Formats: sequence, C-alpha cells, structure tokens
Amino acid sequence: MPTFGTDWWQAVTPYLDEALAMPEEARAGWLSSLREQNPALADQLRILLEEHRTLVEEGFLEKRPPLPPGGAARAGETVDAYTLLSPIGQGGMGSVWLAERSDGRFERQVAVKFLNIALVGRGGEARFKREGSILGRLSHPHIAELVDAGVSPSGQPYLVLENVDGTHIDQYCDQNTVDIEGRLRLFLDVLAAVAHAHSNLIVHRDIKPSNVLVRKDGQVKLLDFGIAKLLEGDGQLVAATITREGGGALTPEYAAPEQVSGGAVTTATDVYGLGVLLYVLLTGQHPAGRGVLSTADLIKAIVDVEPPRASSAVAQGETDGKAVAASAERRATPWKLSRLLRGDLDTIIAKALKKTPRERYASVSAFSDDIRRYLARQPISARPDTLAYRAGKFVRRNRATVGMATLAFVVSVVGVLGTMIQARTARVQRDFAFRQLSRAEAINDLNSFLLSDAAPSGKPFTVNDLLGRAEHIVERQNKNDSTRTELLMSVGLQYVSLEEDAKARRVLEQAYDISHEIQDPSIRARASCALADVLSLQGDLPRAESLIQEGLRDIPEGQQFALDKVFCLKKSSEIARNGTRPQDGITNLKAAQTVLRASPFSSEVSELRLFLDLAEAYREAGQYRAAVAAFEQASVRLSSLGRDDTELAGTMFNNWALALVQVGHPIDAEKIYRRAIDISSVDQSDQGVSPMLLINYASALRELWRLDDAASYAERGYAKALKAGEQVAINQSLLLRGRIYRDRGDLPRAEAMLAEVEPRLRRDLPPGHYAFASLASERGLLALARGDYDAALRLANQALAIGEAAMKSRGQGAGVLPLLYDRRSTAELLSGRIDEAAADAARSVGLLQAAGQSETFSSLLGRVYIDLGLALQAQDKQAEAHKAFQSAAEHLQNTLGPDHPDTRRALGLSQTRTDPR
Amino acid sequence: MEAKISSLISAADNGDGPASEALFAALYSELHRVAKRELARRGDFVSLSVTTLLHEAYLDMAGRSVAAFPDRARFMGYAARVMRGLIIDHARNRRAMKRGGRFEITSLATEVAENLADEKELTQVSEALDKLAKIEAPLAAIVDLKFFCGFSFSEIAAMQGVSERTVQRKWERARLYLHRVIRADLSC
Repeated sequence: MPTFGTDWWQAVTPYLDEALAMPEEARAGWLSSLREQNPALADQLRILLEEHRTLVEEGFLEKRPPLPPGGAARAGETVDAYTLLSPIGQGGMGSVWLAERSDGRFERQVAVKFLNIALVGRGGEARFKREGSILGRLSHPHIAELVDAGVSPSGQPYLVLENVDGTHIDQYCDQNTVDIEGRLRLFLDVLAAVAHAHSNLIVHRDIKPSNVLVRKDGQVKLLDFGIAKLLEGDGQLVAATITREGGGALTPEYAAPEQVSGGAVTTATDVYGLGVLLYVLLTGQHPAGRGVLSTADLIKAIVDVEPPRASSAVAQGETDGKAVAASAERRATPWKLSRLLRGDLDTIIAKALKKTPRERYASVSAFSDDIRRYLARQPISARPDTLAYRAGKFVRRNRATVGMATLAFVVSVVGVLGTMIQARTARVQRDFAFRQLSRAEAINDLNSFLLSDAAPSGKPFTVNDLLGRAEHIVERQNKNDSTRTELLMSVGLQYVSLEEDAKARRVLEQAYDISHEIQDPSIRARASCALADVLSLQGDLPRAESLIQEGLRDIPEGQQFALDKVFCLKKSSEIARNGTRPQDGITNLKAAQTVLRASPFSSEVSELRLFLDLAEAYREAGQYRAAVAAFEQASVRLSSLGRDDTELAGTMFNNWALALVQVGHPIDAEKIYRRAIDISSVDQSDQGVSPMLLINYASALRELWRLDDAASYAERGYAKALKAGEQVAINQSLLLRGRIYRDRGDLPRAEAMLAEVEPRLRRDLPPGHYAFASLASERGLLALARGDYDAALRLANQALAIGEAAMKSRGQGAGVLPLLYDRRSTAELLSGRIDEAAADAARSVGLLQAAGQSETFSSLLGRVYIDLGLALQAQDKQAEAHKAFQSAAEHLQNTLGPDHPDTRRALGLSQTRTDPR
Repeated sequence: MEAKISSLISAADNGDGPASEALFAALYSELHRVAKRELARRGDFVSLSVTTLLHEAYLDMAGRSVAAFPDRARFMGYAARVMRGLIIDHARNRRAMKRGGRFEITSLATEVAENLADEKELTQVSEALDKLAKIEAPLAAIVDLKFFCGFSFSEIAAMQGVSERTVQRKWERARLYLHRVIRADLSC
C-alpha cells in the first residue's frame, strides 16, 4: 500500500474535512454526488472514510474520555457503603436521596446528594475527596454533618450528609409566628454555626433560607457548607449558577455583590448572605425589593442599589395586605414592627449588607456580638475597619514571641507561580491559564525517568552540560548586542536557580560588562540587578548594594519599564534582608507594590508574591501585626486565584501561622497550621509534609498544652528532618523537644536535648546570634525547675546580655527580649529580689505593649501579667497585683481558652481574696 | 534561559535548523528542571501531570523573562514536541529500569498503553508524526498536545485561538494519516 505524499494529501484534505464534519449518514449521499464529478477522488475518499471508521472503532490514539455525569439513580441501588431508599427531592445541584448504610452499622439515616457535574480526570476526583474530608471535619451542633464525599463507579460525585428533617427557617418562623426576639435568637444559632466554620477557614458561600433548616424541636441546622467550593472546577460556581435557568433554577438572590461581579469570595461574603437572611427574617421581604425581578435586574440591584432600611420596608401602612400578614407572622402590626426595627436593628442589618466587603462586619462573631447587645438592651458598637479580618478572626497587634526559639523560618516563596503579566484586556487568557494550573488532570507519571537524568539518546548528561552547550552557542555569537546580553543573563539566572553561584557570577559579570556597550538602559539596569543578586548570595554585600543603586538609577521613566523596576526593587529588598537592614527590605517591597499597582500590567500573581514577600519581611523584622495583615491580604488573593490548596498556599499558611503564634494567638495558629498540613498530606499520612511545618505545628500544640500531641509531632518532625538533612529543622526540633521534656518534668532528657543542639548552633551561627540567648534562657528554666535559683538568675542575665547585644548590633531578636525579661523576673522573684522582679516584669509588659494600640489579646502578654502580678503581690501592692491578674485572665481566656492550665491559674489568682497584711 | 528560548523559538519558527535543535535542548533542560523542582516539592508519592508541568514551565519562563516572551501557543507547540521525546524515552527506559519502582506509571502509560502496548508502537507513532509534521505541521502539533501531553480539545482550541470543532477536525485527519502510515509501514 503506498504512503501518500504532500500533493495528494493537500488535494484530499478539503474534501476530507468536509466529509468528516458531516454526520455519518450524510456521507454516503455526499460521496455519490462527488462520484459523479470525480470518480477517482470519490473512491479514494471512500477508502479513507472507511479507514477512519475502523480507527474510530479501534479507538486509535484515543485517551480515556472524561467521566460523564451519572445516569438516574434508583431505589435499592448502592453507592459505596450506602443503600438508596427513596428520593427526598431535587436540589439545585442534583437529586437527593434518603439512604442508610448497607451494612446497617448505624441506625441514622443519611441524605445522599448527587451532583450533576463532571469531575475532570483523576486529579479532580482526588481534589473533590480531599475537600470533602476537610469539610467533613466541621463538627458543630448547628451544622449538618458532611459524612462522606465520593465518586460513584459511574463517575458521578456525591455527598453523604446528615439527614435533617426540618423546615426552611423563614417558613418555620412564619408558620410558628415567631416574634422578632425569637427570630433573632434563632439567627444567633445560625451565626454560631457560620462562625465555627469560619474559624476552620471554611466559607459557606451559599447562605439562604433553603440551606438553613429548623427541626421540630427548634434546633437549627445549616446545610451545604462549603459545597460551592467543592464544586468549583473551572471557576466561580455562582457565576455559573446564575446563568442557569429553569428546572430548580438558582437565582442569585442571596449572592453578594462580589460574587456576582466575579470578585474574591471571603468570609465577608457569608456576612452578606447572613445579612440578607436576617433582612428576610425580620421584614418578610428581600432587600432588593418586593415583586419578581428578572435576573439581570436582580444582579443590578445587588451590585448598585442600596437596600431600603428594614424599618422603612415594613412600614407600608395597615391597608397593605401583604404588610399586615408579614407583621402578623412576627406578632406585630406594621407600625409596631417598623418601630421595633428602627434604629439599632436597621444599623446592624445595614452593616451586614454593605456593598464593599471591607465595610461589613469584620467577622461573624462581631455580627453576633452586636445582636446579643441589642437583645440585652446594650448599645451596639461599630468595629473599626482597621481590625477587619478576612478569615473571620481578629487581627491581633504586634506581640513579641515567647516560648519558641526564634530562628527565623525563611521559606523561599520563589517558584510555582510565575509572574504571568498581561495587559488587562487579556484577562480571559490569564484566567484560563490559572484554571489549568488549579486543575490536576489525569495523573501522568514521569518521575523516575525525569529524575534519572537520562538523555533522549540514552546517554546520561546533566542540565549543566546543556547550559554549557548553551553558553557555547552564545559565545559563537559575535556581536555584543542586546540579544547576547539577554542570553547571557538568562543562562546566568538559570545557573542561580541551580545554585551554581560561581558559574552564575562569571556569566552575569560578562553580561554586565557587555551591557555597558548597549544603548538600552533597561537591559543595563537588569544586568546590574541580576549580578547584584548573585553577589549578595556570595556575601559581597557592598558591591551588591552599589550595583542595585546603579540599576535603579538606570531604569528609565515610563510605564513599559515598570516590571524592570519591580524586578530591581525586589532584588534590592532581598539584598537588604540578606544583610542587616530588614526595614529597608520592607520599604523596597512596598515601593515595588506601588510601582506594580500603577503599572498598566495587571498581574494578580505578582501582587500576591509581593504580599507574601512583604509578610515575610515584616515577620523577620518583628513587625508581626503588619505581617499578619499582609498574610491576610495574600490569603484573599490566593483564594481568588483558586490556588489556596497548593504548595504555595501551604507555605503561606505556615508563615502566617508562625506570625500568629508570635502575636500570641496559638488557637488561631493551630487551625492554620492544620490547613497547611492538609494541603501537603495525602491519605491521612504526613509523608509529604515538610519537617519544619510539623515542628512548627508541634510548637503551637505545646502552647495549647496538648503535650502528647506536641511530642508526637515533634518526634515525627525530628525524624523527617534527620532524614532530609535539614539542619535548621533539626535544631528547632531539638529545642522544642527539650521544652516539651521540661514541661513534662523530665529534666535529664531536656538537658540532653540542649546539650545536643548547642554544638550545632555554634557551628551554624555567628557567636552573637540571639539563638544563644534563647539557649541560655532555656538552661535557666531548667535550673529553675531544679530549684537552683542562683544558676537560673545567672543564666537569665547571660541570656539578656546576649539578647540585648544582638538587638543593638543586628537589630535582631526583638521578639525574644520580652520573654527574657519575663524569665529573669521569675528567677529574681524566687531568689528574693522582689523589686528587680517587678521591674523586669513591667519592662516585659512595656515591650509587649509598645508595638501598637492596646486593643487586642495576646497569650504572651497574659503570661507576663501573671508574673507581674506575682511580683507586685510580693511587693505588697495588692490592688495592682489584682489588676494584673485580671488582665492576665482576660488575655489568656481569649487566646488560650478557659481550660488551659495558664488560664486557670490566672483565673484562680485573680479571684483570690487579698488579705490585708 | 528565557531570553535564549524566546529568541530560539523565533529562529526555529523561521526554519533555522540548528536553532531548533538548540531550542529542544534548552526546553528539555527547562522541563526537566521544573519537573524535578515540582517533584521535590510535592514529595515522592505524588505524581506530576504533564499538562501541569508544561504550564508551570511556561509560567516560570514567561515570568522570569522581563522582556516579552512568545505566546503560549508557540511555546506549547515546541514543548509538546519535546515532551513526546521524553515520554518515548521514558517508555524505552522503563523496560530497562532498574531503579526501585516507587514511581509507577499511572494513567498516561495506561492510557497510552491501552491502545499501544509498548515503546515500539510509540516510536512508530512518533516517526509517523515526524512525517506528518513535514506535510502539515499543525496537525502533528495537535497530536503532540492531545495524545502525548493530555490537553483537551477546548484547551488546545483556546491555546491556538481557533474553535474546538476546528481542532477536532484536524485531530481526526491527523489520526487518519497516522493510522495509514503505520499500517503501511507494518505491511510493507
């Protein structure tokens, strides 16, 4: 059989196209008409089409097709471990069945909800199941439990939910003519549920009456938590649901403005949904008005139109039948209802319904606090915007560290997300790309091969070899022009990423030299900055800094150079932070942000990276409040890019949690660490989790006095760190395990840990590093535990000396100093030096407070207040001591929880009657 | 590497042979580097999808390149070609692989293998593709993208700025050509 040549193929192609485009049945007719004109051609086409039919049957080159949505379910059918009993109804997203466990293990019946979506490949399935398991951990009396999530054999995803037998909350209230106060109390239950989910970093996204059921016994149950997120494959679910019409059509009645206009969905979005729910419960109307609106009008109303005040909405007068009925359902008349709603309730509702997320209640807890105040006839308060917190927790202000050796955990954020920069008009393309990134396709595995470094021809070679070849190619170019410079720079940067600093430097020096022969100043600038980066890595800081200055000077004005400027500013920041100028590092990053924002190139990814760098810079500099704020910003952007389950997100969560610990919020930190761990772990094991993360998590657990868990994680982290050869992690884990042993009273082992870590620290760090202050302080605590107060005091003094010196010479260790003072205070108190003890404790408090406004709570401050109180008590200043204990109790209750031993201690001390001496 | 690759793409587009070779070598190293990085990042039991790898590589390079970088379509065309080579080499090596088998080929190989049992057949497809590339290059690119790399029709369509139906038609024609060539080679 002959193979066919170009001419023949080109002649045949248009006919082939036509034939393949038409349905099979039509081809025969088409062929016969062709045969009349050109029999030879028709014959060939017939053969070709037959062959095509054959190859289609064979499935030639066919990949496995994507899983289709499942067909109709039937009673008696089993889905995984459940047997379907009867259909409950048709939800907006698919059919819902009552079901029970096939093995009859539990008596409880469940609801199996099939979802009419196709999951994309195996990656989509894995993601779906993993999200399901995250949601399944939500356990709250007012949240309908998500028992399981899976994919049926036919490929249809389903959810197994606790079956709730109840009525929609608005119907329940109307049917039982619940009055305003009753409705508010029910609403508080709803708020409690949402607050709980938020504190677990889960946003509902779809709050509406049909998702809030009330059982006959009055118990509130929220459904479908975070399910919208679960379904989010290719983008915003709500946008998709808005465009659907008919058949249980979903309307955006409860959608927030940002959902409708494609913005970021955050906890503030839930606040809005709750606001609408409250409006409906209290007035019987929708904020967008009475009557049926078309979807388009509704959307416009949501985004543009301020809703009428609740009190105005109900004041329709006695003659309006609907108004009378609505108020009757609330056990009032229209006039009375309006009076009830006027004032505080109006304000509360309005605040929840603000168009701008930032202006709404900062958290669901704030929302319920105001409602509670209203019910208790107390004045409601407006929360200042500066404390707005996207993930539903309060931002705490800058607090120093306690309890953790503060070797900085610098995680390189460089990597996964490139800076894909496109002009604003190309947003669609960019979104497409990111959706691809978010989606894991069919899992293909080239691991072993790619790791084996084998060349296409079978000969082994290295990337270095390839780069060497690349260099030669560049050398062969004779002209010293901008192309050559660009090529050299790119090879140089490649070497940097391979950590081949020497080679990188050689090439980049060359690039820098050549660049001076070129007209284009932006290339010169970039060459300076790239070279500066390598020099700083090699420790030649003075030259690095001067090169950066040169580079920044060379960048011409003009928007097209904005990105070059950002590049140089980032490099300059890195150099500053590599050196001893953390504040400059922050300034440069903020400058980079300003430049980026002003540039015509929209790049959410670049903004995200800058926020992450900034957050780390703040954290390194000890400005923890600012760090936490920057992390929140980054987190919002990460979510809106749909990348909050990626490695980068894991890194961010880790750093964020670290900052939270440093401001004294271990409970919040623990949850966020959990999130970070979830991202990198698969199948309940922590195989993929970084050792440093495990150790950080262990540290937070220790703060919360969950010593057994802390020990377990610390051990695992240590083992992994050893295996991976991660020196910093090994050191951190030794220190942490030492502390845990000390907490448990196992002093010899605690000593052993410190003995093991000290030579390592001496090997890795310069002598005046504040880590040695922490080390001495730890030794001091051990001495205290042994009762050797003299040694404890001596070591505490030593620790402070090192700490203060480190602060002076390097500007490092700001977080450790208050801790050191506090410990010395304890040692002094036990040694009988009461006045010094009080002074040191007060100094510690002062340092912790000095960072910002004193409005938020901190576990660090709480603990120090205890020590201050004890010292004051010894000085016989009973009233002041009592105040200190009360402060301690307040701080600790709010940050460690009521059951923590430190909290109980503070509470006990603050309640002791003070006897007159 | 980005500026180098971007200029190599331009040169290769213009039919510069040595530039094409240099381009493939550079892309190979780049993909390899990104893959190693991603694998190290994700731990050793999670596997990496080809499309993710290619996207990461593109974003990485486009991001590092402060100058304009070629559009994704052109990049992907070449990268997919390189990926074809990698995959075939992988199949080749798998037979000779003595490494500890912790990394099992999952669906790529099974999907490919469902229809083409071994590396020999993949090689046949590849050689046929090379022939097709000389006659109608865009068709060969689509096969690289879809069959070897796992992109969907809609993704390819979006990449190339054409309709999905156009891509599908081209795919069918490509299949036909390849099928013919392979059968012809087998029987001659």
